[in-house]
Amino acid sequence: MPAPVYLDHSATTPVRAEVFAAMEPFYGPKFGNPSSMHRWGREARAALDEARERLAAALGAHPDEIVFTSGGTEADNLAILGVWRLLREKGKRAVVTTPIEHKAILAATHQAGHEGAEERMLAVDGAGLVRDESFDALVREDAAVCSVMWVNNEIGTVQPIAQMAEKARAHGVIFHTDAVQAFGHVPVSAKTAAFDILSVSGHKIGAPKGIGAIYIRRGTFVEPMQFGGSQNRGVRPGTENVAAAVGLARAAELAVEELDTEMPKLERMRDYLQKELETRIPDAVVNGAGAPRAPHILNISVPRTDSESMLMALDMAGVACSSGSACQSGTVDPSHVLEAIGVPRELAIAAVRMSLGSLTTDACIERVVQLFPALISKARRLAGVAS
Amino acid sequence: MTRERVLVAMSGGVDSSVAAALLVEQGYDVIGATMKLFCYGDEVPDRPCCSLDSIDDARRVCERLGVPHYVLNMEDAFGRDVLQNFVDEYARGRTPIPCVRCNSFTKFRDLLHKADALDAQWIATGHYARAVGGELLRGLDPAKDQSYFLWGIDRAVVSRMLLPVGALTKAETRARARALGLNVVAEKPESQDICFVPGGDHTVVLAKHLASGDAALSRGPILLSDGRRVGEHEGFARFTIGQRKGLPGGYAVPMFVTAIRPEERAVVIGPREELLGRGIIAREMNWLVSEEPEVGAQVEVQIRHHARPARAEIVRVEGDEIELALDEAVSAISPGQSLVIYSGERVLGGGVIEAGMAAGAARVRLPIFAA
Repeated sequence: MPAPVYLDHSATTPVRAEVFAAMEPFYGPKFGNPSSMHRWGREARAALDEARERLAAALGAHPDEIVFTSGGTEADNLAILGVWRLLREKGKRAVVTTPIEHKAILAATHQAGHEGAEERMLAVDGAGLVRDESFDALVREDAAVCSVMWVNNEIGTVQPIAQMAEKARAHGVIFHTDAVQAFGHVPVSAKTAAFDILSVSGHKIGAPKGIGAIYIRRGTFVEPMQFGGSQNRGVRPGTENVAAAVGLARAAELAVEELDTEMPKLERMRDYLQKELETRIPDAVVNGAGAPRAPHILNISVPRTDSESMLMALDMAGVACSSGSACQSGTVDPSHVLEAIGVPRELAIAAVRMSLGSLTTDACIERVVQLFPALISKARRLAGVAS
Repeated sequence: MTRERVLVAMSGGVDSSVAAALLVEQGYDVIGATMKLFCYGDEVPDRPCCSLDSIDDARRVCERLGVPHYVLNMEDAFGRDVLQNFVDEYARGRTPIPCVRCNSFTKFRDLLHKADALDAQWIATGHYARAVGGELLRGLDPAKDQSYFLWGIDRAVVSRMLLPVGALTKAETRARARALGLNVVAEKPESQDICFVPGGDHTVVLAKHLASGDAALSRGPILLSDGRRVGEHEGFARFTIGQRKGLPGGYAVPMFVTAIRPEERAVVIGPREELLGRGIIAREMNWLVSEEPEVGAQVEVQIRHHARPARAEIVRVEGDEIELALDEAVSAISPGQSLVIYSGERVLGGGVIEAGMAAGAARVRLPIFAA
């Protein structure tokens, strides 16, 4: 069998060699606790401070605006619930978000709802873009926080975050963006966009799982979700994961350095893949087309097929894709994102997400260009027999 | 040589786990699949029930065997073909066997389509039955034989089935599980309940799916066969033919449910003799052999799981409907249950019981009974 093809970089990515090398000493001699006063502690503290500075630089931020977390989900929860719990005391009564967010945002918003918040859902168009009139109607002075995902993890839609952040600020609403899929794929900087809070995750950009960060702009405050020591100025107590923080900082630097070379490359490969698949499967539908799209995601539905069977057949042939966000059990359920942008059910259950990244080569793409249409026609032949 | 591929339906229980392990041992290219058939947790919003213990167990077994494992979401089809029928049948005063329809439609039709998509020539389960030479046979362990539940599958599918534990006893299966190191599942207790009726109270499922106030779960009369009203019940769907539990007492002999009349919401009771029937009409007949038995053929029939086979003659076949005359009366022929026709250990076919007829009905005057 030909070499396996990994087209699921939006699910996770391999740890980069440079990142692994940067982390390694902290699993060896540099094992100190950054809160200790002795030389081991100082060594770890220095590494952590430096990691914070380097991640801040990569995000166009000040080091004191960075808090390391366990990942994107924790950062998202801190953003929604941390702001809501603080501002409900001040008369704010709503949390605003979109129906195409990651479950971490949607579930945190529901939790705020249980705690008395009004949950406001912004309307999106057929490509996943938030509708201006809906934003203007729902992002009002009485909202505590508004959260909009910068790049959608399933269909790649890029929202005009800078513009939304400005509008939210004008109404005194804290603006958060989940940039887990955006960072490393589109330019993300606190200098050029006025978001107040932003979430990033390590394992989507070549750092390990279990590390992420939240950017909290100076002057913006969140209530902690957990309590303990004074690490991260009390916003996120607990002994810091020094090695992983160093890894995240290194991965972030590399992502920013390579943005201008890597993204055009991924975009070229993605566009070629899309064009070839559209040519070979004329009734294929690209979900999220028609809006600005991140360069690494292709979400495609072919009528009269189903994701579950396609993903298994692809897996058996050595090609890893997904249907959207992965569920714990591994079942394939119709995506809430596709449902929200109005994709008909028969297409939603057929969606396959291919996400490109560091492991993707032209040969990988060519293999999928050959394989995918063959699997599709086989699936349709079988569906024809079955019905 | 490329190994032959088999898709194994894995419930997370000991039987299907051992089935998968045996197939790996026999050199097959095994793919494990667990079907997610219904949702336990729809009362918890945005918290889909996606880490059921049984799915986890099946996955652990596959990880141990070094084979891929997939979870297949078959909720829609299962809801339509099995769950809805289960509810409808009870609402009609009948006693359905959802496992039969699950085998006929969900496992050996819908799952087979997934096998096709994966180029798997074979489909396997942990049933105690055997598929030999394109025919379905009883499992070797008479105490565990599950062939009764498999009559409804398409005949062409039998030649693609692998039923590795059908040649084992339950004790042997457990011993194999232990020997294979499948500790996760080896000592699991036997599941007795219908999978979507945890706790065994089917009325909970009915109440969830029927409109409130549906006749099936509403008060109605308990009658004797002569029409006398002797009490009330809280819904005929709580009863099945042959049931004693929940009936009024005070009779000289034990009383049983002998009929359910949904149009009157009535449950009819009577002594043991009134349960006896010598004729059976079944529908949805499906044959698993190439030469279908004709009118006049002598066969063995089973009208419930674990019942002793009874001798009978086929007296009428019309389309997918069949009528049989039993040599000796049998007790509690229940509409909705399965009639399975055997010849020794071969399963010839089966259908869904439409009606049982007491001795003295028209058909019973046929010559065979005079002889």
